[in-house]
Amino acid sequence: MMLSNDLLRLYSPCSHRCPAPGRSAVVSEARCGHVPARSAPPSFLSKFRHRPSNRTLEGVSLWLAVLLMLFVHPLYAEASETDDVGQLHFVDDRGQWQEPALVLGSEFDIRVGGLIADSRLLRSFRNTSDQWREGVFVFPLPDKASVYGLTMKVGERTIEGKVQPKETARRTYEKAKQAGQHAANVEQQRPNLFTARVANIPPKETVSVELKYQQPVGYQAGVFELSLPTTLTPRYMPGTPIRPSTDQWQSGWALPTIEVADADAISPFTVKPADVAEGSHRASIELLIDAGLPLEEVSSPSHQLVTSQDGQTVTVRPAEGSILMDRDFVVRWRPLAGREPSAAVFYQSWQGEDYLLAMLVPGQIGKRVLPRELVFVIDTSGSMAGESIRQARSALQAGLQTLTPRDRFNVIRFNSQAHALFMQPEIASGNNLARARQYVDRLRAEGGTEMAPALSLALQDREGGEEESPRVRQVIFITDGAVGDEAGLFRQIRQQLGDQRLFTVGIGSAPNRHFMREAARWGRGTYTAIHSASDVSGPLQALFSAMESPVLTDIQVQWPGQEAGIESFPRRAGDLFQGEPLIYVARGVSAMGELRVSGRLPGGEAWRKTLDLQQAASGTGLYRHWAREKIDGMQDEARVSGQEPDKAAITELAVAHGLMSAYTSFVAVETTPVRMPETPLAPDNLPTLLPAGSEVGMLRYPQTATAAPLLIALGLVGLMFSVAIVLLQRRALP
Amino acid sequence: MTRLLLLLLTSSATLLVFGLWIPLKAVLAQEMLEVAWAESQARQVESRPWPWADTWPVARLAIPALNDSMIVLADTHGESLAFGPGRLAGGDDGNGAVIIAGHRDTHFRGLNALEAGNEIRLQGRNGRWRSYRVENARVVDSRSERIDAQQLPAGTLLLVTCYPFNSVDAGGPLRYVVRARADGITAPREQIDTVAGI
Repeated sequence: MMLSNDLLRLYSPCSHRCPAPGRSAVVSEARCGHVPARSAPPSFLSKFRHRPSNRTLEGVSLWLAVLLMLFVHPLYAEASETDDVGQLHFVDDRGQWQEPALVLGSEFDIRVGGLIADSRLLRSFRNTSDQWREGVFVFPLPDKASVYGLTMKVGERTIEGKVQPKETARRTYEKAKQAGQHAANVEQQRPNLFTARVANIPPKETVSVELKYQQPVGYQAGVFELSLPTTLTPRYMPGTPIRPSTDQWQSGWALPTIEVADADAISPFTVKPADVAEGSHRASIELLIDAGLPLEEVSSPSHQLVTSQDGQTVTVRPAEGSILMDRDFVVRWRPLAGREPSAAVFYQSWQGEDYLLAMLVPGQIGKRVLPRELVFVIDTSGSMAGESIRQARSALQAGLQTLTPRDRFNVIRFNSQAHALFMQPEIASGNNLARARQYVDRLRAEGGTEMAPALSLALQDREGGEEESPRVRQVIFITDGAVGDEAGLFRQIRQQLGDQRLFTVGIGSAPNRHFMREAARWGRGTYTAIHSASDVSGPLQALFSAMESPVLTDIQVQWPGQEAGIESFPRRAGDLFQGEPLIYVARGVSAMGELRVSGRLPGGEAWRKTLDLQQAASGTGLYRHWAREKIDGMQDEARVSGQEPDKAAITELAVAHGLMSAYTSFVAVETTPVRMPETPLAPDNLPTLLPAGSEVGMLRYPQTATAAPLLIALGLVGLMFSVAIVLLQRRALP
Repeated sequence: MTRLLLLLLTSSATLLVFGLWIPLKAVLAQEMLEVAWAESQARQVESRPWPWADTWPVARLAIPALNDSMIVLADTHGESLAFGPGRLAGGDDGNGAVIIAGHRDTHFRGLNALEAGNEIRLQGRNGRWRSYRVENARVVDSRSERIDAQQLPAGTLLLVTCYPFNSVDAGGPLRYVVRARADGITAPREQIDTVAGI
């Protein structure tokens, strides 16, 4: 095999130049083939004069010639055929495979003030080809992001985008694209998944799109956290495709299925970093934290940071300059010990309306450990392959360690099918735990992500077994959330939950945070993210201690003044776990009076706290946060009542506040056309990077040819050549 | 001069022998695989065709239209494709799609002759034959496409080989993919039943 490899390498320079690999070999062989053919006729005439061995040689050479012609003929036929095979659109007219033409650059500029982070995200599409291009890019944003601005930059000019109803915006964009104008359109596909389209990118030029969005900062157990997704884990689409199609895997985009009607819009082609152009898919990030209080530490579980401090303002950059967009960028900051805020109020006035954002941390509220029934559900689907399944296994092992002999437990794994370790939850005895550990160690990741049957299995009603003391039943769901039918799963959780609680643990470099957070919210639990193998123990410790602690239920808020004009969100707060803050945003409340919050502790006692609103600091972007919360609330209501959300009301609200939503999107159009209508425009779907540490879920095509034809051809040519030389030598001799 | 000629002669002859050895190996290996396949069906275990093999037979693929039948090996790693087509995805249970890849110049040489409607039969270790009908065939570029096995509906069979069929370039990027859909499971062959009963 060594020999053949060397030959291939020698051979390869030619195949670059030649239109079809076969042709050059054919031409040279055909020429060689003539040598013996020409020399053969004279040898026939003189065959009686020569020795018999000569005759055999000539016979051999003739046979070789016939063999070679037989062998070469199909090659030649094939070479002339390949020129007009129409399907090979990814090969240009010179037979070269086309690299993705667009190079993508991203710049994040984030300012954190109080509890809201305001970001500018500049995406630049550089066209490296000689053709006009349309770039389409599917990208994630933080799961609570409110997008409020789009600016397109072409050279020196900037064009401001406008909010329009989704269909109108798309029509505007398509019209501008046809007319040859510069245009950009950004749509929301999922609350954390967006599609950017940029039309008419001139050859060798760059068009940039700047998005403005804000997101609430996470605060838990005294630590602030901001996460910046840069790529997405390929989602699993349950259901059968709506229309059977021959181009099933066309450029890697999934087809719409019955359960996920927009599967094609949320599944970009996922590639390895080596498969994109040099310098593409890199992001530079600058984060300015103005926390308003002295910070002890700024850290990141995902990247190395460089920080510089100026008073109370801290500037954070990744140490490597621009990062590869293959994992979430996560930054955490912690106030000085003992200075962690337990309450905060921000105030803003916008268009004559007052907006308030209030945060309250209930703090330590006692501890009482009840016997529990814990069900661990672990995702072993193909998207978890690689680093993710290792993290998930160690998370599960850590969970098993927290069990006491009073607890019952079970382990359920699922991919295309769900499978439970025990028929029903068993006592956490040493024997059972050992079995569970073994079971977990043997888990491998493969197959689909059929979450619904696994949820049913985990949330099923307990059977019989009247116990002496009530057990708290909790489900821990360990997954990367790589599913496309989120809404259906939330509905299922709500219907099957009963008095149980569902906690989600997010795994991998780019989990679907929207699914994790919302599933935990519908499941009356919490969401914990694990970012890397070294980051497993900390967050899990917090989760397991939160699960042991009792929660605050029946939370009520009372704003000062008359109730009528006040709209506050969330409408109904969920239950609160240890270390979690209560966050409310309200419209129609001025910064006066007191906010009263009451709730019930697990023992039944009442819990009360008041917050002085006059202490409010001025904040920014509160009205957008309020509008986003209101939209979320409307969609929740629709989900609970099983109806379609009020599309008109949401559209109106989003347009009034300049926000993107499920029904509104941004579009920016340059007025003057730049591309002549007859010049072709090629679409270019930009791939996203495979999340770090995960393995390619999709199979590569294997190498399915041998060197046999090449070896045989070379061998035959060589033999003919030698025989021809021998014949010539004989003839030269008297 | 004579020495040079001798060198050319021997090296060309060696090349030819190497070149001819590959299809010969493919034929010989299939004979040995027949034995291993019979044994694995009888004992319902993975039985390796020769002690140092890193693969084992998992199915039998029959293409009546080409009057051809061959043993399919597990996976496509290493040298296994030289001995027989390899199964990239799919199991015996019949759930999910089955993807089989083979060399275009040995076992899957006749694939371009398959037409829509032709029958392909696949036998699992349990002896059950499953019948498929060819739906279509197309050419893909392996650099810009992957096979998403999870997205393929159950009962799909993909046969993958290199394209163009008569090219001498073994490292080409194009693949020829034949797609077939299951008709249903046909009755097991009786002689397999008796062997399985031992």
